[in-house]
Amino acid sequence: MSSVTVEPLLRYHRRTEVSGLRKVANPCCSSSSLNCSRQKLFHRGKCKLRMRRRSTAPFVIRASSSSSSSTALAETFESSGDVFFRHSFPVTQTETVEGKIFVRVDQENGKGNWHLTVGCSLPGKWILHWGVSYVNDIGSEWDQPPKHMRPSGSVPVKNYAIETPLKKPSGDDPFYEVKIDIDPKSAIAAINFVLKDEETGAWYQHKGRDFKVPLVDYLLEDGTVFGSNSFVIWPGPFFSNILLKPETDSTREPDDVKREDRKVEGIYEEQPITKHIAIENSVTVSVRKCPETSKNLLYLETDLPEVVVHWGVCRDDAKNWETPPGPHPPETVIFKEKALRTLLQPKEDGRGCSGLFTLEEGLAGFLFVLKLNDNTWLKCKGNDFYVPLSNSSILLSESGQEHFKDAPASVKALDQNQGSDTAFTNEIIKEIRNLVSGISSDNSRKVKTKEAQESILQEIEKLAAEAYSIFRSSIPTFKEEVVLEEELEQAPPKKSSGTGSGYEIVLQGFNWESHKSGRWYMELKEKAEDIASLGFTVVWLPPPTESVSPEGYMPKDLYNLNSRYGNIYELKELVGKLHELGIKVLGDAVLNHRCAQYQNQNGIWNIFGGRLNWDDRAVVADDPHFQGRGNKSSGDNFHAAPNIDHSQDFVRKDIKEWMRWLREEIGYDGWRLDFVRGFWGGYVKDYMDATSPYFAVGEYWDSLSYTYGEMDHNQDAHRQRIIDWINATSGSAGAFDVTTKGVLHAALERCEYWRLADEKGKPPGVVGWWPSRAVTFVENHDTGSTQGHWRFPGGKEMQGYAYILTHPGTPAVFFDHVYSSNYRSEIAALLAFRNRHKLHCRSIVQISKAARDVYAAIIDEKVAVKIGPGHFEPPNGPRKWSPALEGRDYKIWESS
Amino acid sequence: MEVSVIGTSQATFCSGGELAPCSRELRFCVPKRNGDALYFLDRNSRRRCRNSRLQLTLTAAAQSEPVRSDSFPVQEPATIPDSVNKVKLFVGLPLDVVSDCHSVNHARAITAGLKALKLLGVEGVEVPVWWGLVEKEEMGEYEWSGYLAVAEMVQTAGLKLHVSLCFHGDRQHKVSLPRWVLKIGESNHSIFYTDRSGEAYEDCLSLAVDDLPVLDGRTPLQVYKGFCESFRSTFAQFLGSTITGVTMGLGPDGELQYPSHHQPSNNNIPGVGEFQCYDENMKDQLKQHAASLGNPLWGLAGPHDAPTYNQTPDSSPFFNELSGSWQSPYGDFFLSWYSNQLLSHGDRLLSMASNVFTDTGVTTHGRVPLMHSWFKTRSRALENTAGFYSTDGKDAYEAFAEMFAQTSCGMIIPGMDLSDDEQPDQSMSSPEMLLKQIQAACKKHGVGVSGMNSGLRLNGFDRISKNVVGDENNVVDLFTYQRMGAEFFSPEHFPSFTQFARGLNQPFAGLDSDDLPTEETLPVEAPVPSNAEMQTA
Repeated sequence: MSSVTVEPLLRYHRRTEVSGLRKVANPCCSSSSLNCSRQKLFHRGKCKLRMRRRSTAPFVIRASSSSSSSTALAETFESSGDVFFRHSFPVTQTETVEGKIFVRVDQENGKGNWHLTVGCSLPGKWILHWGVSYVNDIGSEWDQPPKHMRPSGSVPVKNYAIETPLKKPSGDDPFYEVKIDIDPKSAIAAINFVLKDEETGAWYQHKGRDFKVPLVDYLLEDGTVFGSNSFVIWPGPFFSNILLKPETDSTREPDDVKREDRKVEGIYEEQPITKHIAIENSVTVSVRKCPETSKNLLYLETDLPEVVVHWGVCRDDAKNWETPPGPHPPETVIFKEKALRTLLQPKEDGRGCSGLFTLEEGLAGFLFVLKLNDNTWLKCKGNDFYVPLSNSSILLSESGQEHFKDAPASVKALDQNQGSDTAFTNEIIKEIRNLVSGISSDNSRKVKTKEAQESILQEIEKLAAEAYSIFRSSIPTFKEEVVLEEELEQAPPKKSSGTGSGYEIVLQGFNWESHKSGRWYMELKEKAEDIASLGFTVVWLPPPTESVSPEGYMPKDLYNLNSRYGNIYELKELVGKLHELGIKVLGDAVLNHRCAQYQNQNGIWNIFGGRLNWDDRAVVADDPHFQGRGNKSSGDNFHAAPNIDHSQDFVRKDIKEWMRWLREEIGYDGWRLDFVRGFWGGYVKDYMDATSPYFAVGEYWDSLSYTYGEMDHNQDAHRQRIIDWINATSGSAGAFDVTTKGVLHAALERCEYWRLADEKGKPPGVVGWWPSRAVTFVENHDTGSTQGHWRFPGGKEMQGYAYILTHPGTPAVFFDHVYSSNYRSEIAALLAFRNRHKLHCRSIVQISKAARDVYAAIIDEKVAVKIGPGHFEPPNGPRKWSPALEGRDYKIWESS
Repeated sequence: MEVSVIGTSQATFCSGGELAPCSRELRFCVPKRNGDALYFLDRNSRRRCRNSRLQLTLTAAAQSEPVRSDSFPVQEPATIPDSVNKVKLFVGLPLDVVSDCHSVNHARAITAGLKALKLLGVEGVEVPVWWGLVEKEEMGEYEWSGYLAVAEMVQTAGLKLHVSLCFHGDRQHKVSLPRWVLKIGESNHSIFYTDRSGEAYEDCLSLAVDDLPVLDGRTPLQVYKGFCESFRSTFAQFLGSTITGVTMGLGPDGELQYPSHHQPSNNNIPGVGEFQCYDENMKDQLKQHAASLGNPLWGLAGPHDAPTYNQTPDSSPFFNELSGSWQSPYGDFFLSWYSNQLLSHGDRLLSMASNVFTDTGVTTHGRVPLMHSWFKTRSRALENTAGFYSTDGKDAYEAFAEMFAQTSCGMIIPGMDLSDDEQPDQSMSSPEMLLKQIQAACKKHGVGVSGMNSGLRLNGFDRISKNVVGDENNVVDLFTYQRMGAEFFSPEHFPSFTQFARGLNQPFAGLDSDDLPTEETLPVEAPVPSNAEMQTA
């Protein structure tokens, strides 16, 4: 269920005070702005088509098999007599469509019968969820409207609201509407509502709040509820009979109004809304044998505009793609020698496009997928579209002959029985049996076998896909970094990979006590030159917002950047200074939770203040402490503060705006994301896409696995959870490599250095699987500093740094270790070493030894490192190794 | 009735007239214990047996008693085309198919997977049955419910089931020996294999205690037997129908071997492993054996100059290529004793299993390892530390094959997907040649061979196909592909497997050219868009 925020399309009515009397502008006078907004809207709508999709993954097209699959056959394609294959594949995509909601208050025939009409232009099962406020109510509580106000078909919900369905007044009417009679003499101060689409479960609100149609003047004066953006203008209980017709209002003189104590006016207000709806298109393929050349002519048409067909042919059932020899249709390019890409030509009637493919004899099938744009691919039930070409398989021929009867049946079965796999499988098995036992003639047997094979293979693929998805969701799957990296390279260029240059070294620029002086920004600024000279490229600053706790992790008003670390100007100064020195700056964004400023009627603190004055709908519903009215949390809950419901569109929109503002206003280059376990990584992707950070890292910290109090050697499940999160962000952010820290703890503390190689001989942390997204660290403000929640084995920190500063991944160094320990010089040497040898987040590590008391590895074939008390010398082969750095229980060599 | 499916070959030998001569050969797959060659006396009978799949299933409907016979019909049914060569394909179920609390893990995925396999013409599935799960808490208390549910699922899917009884643990998958056994092990370390440094291997019991009453007064062999008998009575309704085969667990990883190489190697070159003869009982037996040969000094310990786990053969004197003591009388003494211990252990367990499952209609199998590293050296160290006395001039596999023949057990050989080309040169490895050697021994002694792969790989199918349907020396009747799971069904892997499975069922003659299996078994090239974005979604 999602909630969609809508912006008013029209400007709000402006109330002007003239000589103590109020004048209300006629809504219609702003019709010019309406047009203007519409254009803007249209423009934006187009962009949204790409942006708003739920996933960027190649579009999963569920070709709903129940829908008619044999309609819309090609009409332009020659006679059907020798067409031996013809099939129309339905393709469905979810599209965001724009429509509008209107709210109208008007009078019927001037008789004083007033109505509130709410309408919506988009198709859907619309429900008006509404209630009223009475004159003497305090706050914004809803009450049920009196019975006589309720239109027929209304259903009471609990004791404060009514749900009334919207209907089309007539068949051709573009709007779904509901009309509510208003009794001007009642004590009703306002009608409140939200619109709900039962089909999708989405709620449509007004700027993240209820729509309100105030009926009483004094509410306007009160001003606290609606501010300037109410629709307003209803005279209320002392209803006078002087009504201002909207049409004439624009020409009226203010003087006319002045004489009225009360004004009554119809109002009309529109707002754009968006909705995800499924758009059904189809692709129709017909194949005909050309009698002259005995080539196959394949005609492909679709009602989709602008499609590139990514295609190939195969010579057998294995469906190995290959490219056929030319000639190819016009607008065809060869793609990586594996496939061809043909841009379909627009059809003459302008509806969709088509292409004609000439295919030589002897090919078994024609395979294709459709490419709408760089991110959107259409496939057939997750597979390639497949068109059999061999003449003998008269699979879907309209003129099916008698003895082929079984075959179309099996295809039909495929289409219809999706719901009941068992029945279907049994059917296929039965058919196979028939095939094997009851065979009459050689000829038909061959055809049948082929056809059965086709449908069986399809079914097998379907079942395998099902098994795959379940297995994948229920067990940690191992994903090789190599694969991932390759795939990422293949993927269309990412807007932001959040990994910086790959050569980054992060300094955590604060500890748990940094807020104490009250001028941390300034203190850090004094160290800026030093930080740069040490070789750091990125500095992570503490959370900048107003916060309930001095450390900043309990944010309150997100736009108030005066914190215990300093004020916004000092922050900007610091960022500016770091930028001068070529250092990128990470802002610490706390997105999971936020502290409220006001209590709700139950005394629960869940109403926010400041510029983002969300109410309890921005709070997740499943934490009883905070009585949120949002959806359930998409992650774990942090129990000390209300957890933000990121599934609410208005929340995401506001957060994106806020983060963009931080990027622009403060100059942050990227993010450190606090407690990302609390919400779905997909939302993080949204935020990263909106802010294109240079570098981003999330804190996904949960416990490693232990058996009988002893840490398991295999921490694959742990790192898989982190990988899963990174995956959910589409790799747009990296994550702290908590796994590596944990394994280092166990290895160093217990002298079990063998733990530093996993079962495949790779590093056991996230860095072993997806190094470019792993931010390795030894300590941070939570694990160490004065909190010490999970402190690195004492005295062995340098071994940790020797590890992370020579290994792939992006290392993050803790402030204290540079500035308040005696490791400074050693760390400085390691930093210089890493920079000198250009070790980076994707460096290749080859583990040479992982024994009880020593771990050794060679990185990028030019650096050797060992940690642990045991003995190791890099083998002197073709390369000569010379010692470069040495410290307590670690040693580093470089090859000359 | 159920008939193999996809391959078009059915058309040829399913037509009515051809069925009759086949159906009388049901008896081939029934093991017997008379020491006669069992499976395949020669090429002719082997061929028949491959066809027996069809015959079996046809007669199974009538549920006829399996016929035991001491002599094979010699005559070849003339109607079977010479080239037909069928290998039964099994697919392993996930190792964790039954959970700790005896429920079926990923039941929905497995149900879908079974259907897919059935449609693909796969004969059956293999399920690992863990001792540590079934007899977890107390000796003699068996909890079979999870595995019964699996058997029912398999039966419903119309597939066969091959059961692997696992008397070992698997650290990687968090399966250990039964708790009560581990508890005994805490006070009595010598029930486990132990290496020179005194480190015990707790994932299976030492062969030296097979006949010692170390488990609360009972011997491990008795406990294993109790387990097998409980299995037999619990699964009586499935035996011979759904369940067609049982593999007896024989040691680490279920294979007949010492845990000589259980320490993970950190580079690509596997070391030679270590001898595992340092638990108290082994040492005693070595001492006695040495004394009985009049060389008591040889019985004081294992070879002092043997390398450690991840070292190369030449890193210390024992396995040195030219001057190693493996060639000395002492070397011969020790290596043959060490290997014979393993041989007798196998004999004990396989005889027991074969006895328990006689007359149940299931075949009994044991698995041997494919220790292919250092094969191309003279000392073949890795095989020796694992318990196979194979050196330049010695062929342990002869003796082991003979033992399998005598116990009427089929031999499962893993690693049939491995090819020499992929092995690092320095490892002097040759999986292909070692496989040939073992197969030759089996052929000589008439032992049926089943194959297995080393794990999911995209480029192993070629090799498997060659090994199971290739030349005339191969004697493989059944191949178990390991193992079902997410990766198995992944879009990267499953299409290749489909192609492989279908190729396996295709006959090679008498059909149209477009029905032939493809020459190449290259991984199917996914079109560009498929996975790149899926991963990052």
